[in-house]
Amino acid sequence: MAVHSLTAKQIISRIRQVFPDAPEAYILSLLNDALVEAGLYSTKSMTAKVDVTADKMFYALDDSAKDASNNALELNKIYRVDFMDDDGDYIKIPRLLDGETLMFDITSESAGIEQPD
Amino acid sequence: MASNISKPESKVVWFVKGKSLGLVSTYSTSGTSRTDRKRWQAVDHAVSDGLLLHYWSDPKKVAAITETPDIDNAFHLALVDYIKMCLYMDRAGSTSGEMSAVSLQLSQMHRAKFEESVRRFGNRRREKVGGVRSILPYNFQ
Repeated sequence: MAVHSLTAKQIISRIRQVFPDAPEAYILSLLNDALVEAGLYSTKSMTAKVDVTADKMFYALDDSAKDASNNALELNKIYRVDFMDDDGDYIKIPRLLDGETLMFDITSESAGIEQPD
Repeated sequence: MASNISKPESKVVWFVKGKSLGLVSTYSTSGTSRTDRKRWQAVDHAVSDGLLLHYWSDPKKVAAITETPDIDNAFHLALVDYIKMCLYMDRAGSTSGEMSAVSLQLSQMHRAKFEESVRRFGNRRREKVGGVRSILPYNFQ
């Protein structure tokens, strides 16, 4: 037996029990607002592979960022990063908490770090 | 293609800078020694699928009414609460007197239910870990 879940249509019908005149497009818009809000609170865990480029220090994480298969990452917060070792296995690497490396590589970047136009 | 780095846990670190992931390493493919001051630099060789990111993601947008929201079904009722919160807020703003006050109260009630469900208990409701959680007490002896 399938797990009980609600489609957008069922959600709209529940809303219309109280707000019978609420427009469908408006409810859908609010539903997407709700998903954005809920997404801020650790609700959907994902794992994605990203290509490492030679001499590139920064990798974009913004809304347009893609993984190695060119799928959108849709990333909110990273909690773990693994790096492929010489056997092809993914090994967890430590996080540098303050992110303050002595040498800052700005010259090799085409994405990620924003610079004035 | 595997990387050249044998023990990345001691040679590669990551950090977040604004909207970017920083990746630096002490490894040098050419074998040249780096000075202590500049030993943390970008990885100097390309690795296909070299990074595996684990992260909390945005749910996908619902585009049609036949779709199911891209979020664990434990949160579906919370979505209903969020929409009702907004609609009651709209009603409170477009009416006056007692109707407005009641709508405002109902909006706040649905806000509290949404926040309790998603923010306060979100992780515990969704997590797939079963059984008793126990903490080993510290041994003072």
